[in-house]
Amino acid sequence: MPTMTGMVTIVQETRFQLTDERGVSHLFLLGHHSMAEPDQLVPLQHAQARVRVRYIQPRNIIGMVAKSIEVDD
Amino acid sequence: MDMHARLQDYTQSSLDRVIPNESELTCGSLIVPGRSYGFFTDTTVCIGCKACEVACKEWNNLPADNIGLTGQSYDNTGALSANTWRHVNFIEKTGDVGPGGLGSGFEAEGRGGGCGGGCGGSGGKNSSGEGGVRDNNQQAFQSGWLMMSDVCKHCHNPPCMEACPTGALFKTEFDTVVVQQDICNGCGYCVPACPFGVVDVSLIDGKVHKCTLCYDRLKGGLEPACAKACPTDSIMFGEVDDLVARARARVAKLHELGVESAYLYGAPDEPGATGGLEYLNAFFLLTDRPEIYNLPVAPTRASRRVLPGLLSGFAAIAGLAAAAALLLGASSAPARAAR
Repeated sequence: MPTMTGMVTIVQETRFQLTDERGVSHLFLLGHHSMAEPDQLVPLQHAQARVRVRYIQPRNIIGMVAKSIEVDD
Repeated sequence: MDMHARLQDYTQSSLDRVIPNESELTCGSLIVPGRSYGFFTDTTVCIGCKACEVACKEWNNLPADNIGLTGQSYDNTGALSANTWRHVNFIEKTGDVGPGGLGSGFEAEGRGGGCGGGCGGSGGKNSSGEGGVRDNNQQAFQSGWLMMSDVCKHCHNPPCMEACPTGALFKTEFDTVVVQQDICNGCGYCVPACPFGVVDVSLIDGKVHKCTLCYDRLKGGLEPACAKACPTDSIMFGEVDDLVARARARVAKLHELGVESAYLYGAPDEPGATGGLEYLNAFFLLTDRPEIYNLPVAPTRASRRVLPGLLSGFAAIAGLAAAAALLLGASSAPARAAR
């Protein structure tokens, strides 16, 4: 499963924007069985923490579905 | 040109801070908790630019979906969904142009019907009535098009909220209807309860999503993104009472200009505010029948259909039981007589 590292810059409900090292922003949706809750996204945004997201690319949507989010040490 | 007095405070092109109560400058309405806010969508000035759709997706971080062409006129969004909270309807009218306007026939996303009146025009014919190179059966000056930016209606008595078993749907301090994502369990009861087909469950996260009337922006004193982006002010944001007064004045003005078909949908005591809904915080000015715009003629609250449904079910059971008793009684009578 592909992974992406970056900072959570925008959070809206279960959707968040991850800005990678090159400054490119990507749209993620928190998947149904992801190991994270929507409430956990806001603290990540406020902390500007570096996170690593495992994701899949769904069909018919321009965005990625996050399967797990880990804080990158 | 009238300018708000507070604009004098912000003459520079770039600002180092957020403008407090910005909505007062952008839409003339101060956002105060405890008051009732909504949208008035005047479809007669909608140009179908889809700026509202884009602004909504941009602010709410919603993904583009249904990639490709629908084949339905200029409408490639299709419908309101968990990822699309604003949808611009494109209704393309065709048909013979007579003295009373379009007589019959139009194409609107596969539906059929006619013009409700006030659709007068000369089509493509010249003054002598003969066809030229642009002879066609369309209305003159693009009046064969109806465009409407559809959205959650934020009903005064929201049926989705009544159907929600977890309390995830609630009324905010701005009298709007919002889904709390951490409480929604994705049961989907609200989906059939909505008479407008607005609410949708996302198959990706298993939760319900719909327009929040930019709840986060309202809390920050900002006008909702779609209304702010609308270049023709087809979408107007403000206090519902103010909007209703503005809408009634607009209808009167249109009637004066000869557009007799203009009416309000969803405003108090108007079509669309039926079945116990009382009124819709997001209401519309239409120039044709509601169903032409994919709106229900007489929306109702699902909770009002529970008792009649239950009683008719009991009546059906009682009727079947009585019929069975009659049949069984009739068939067993000769046997008893024979014994």
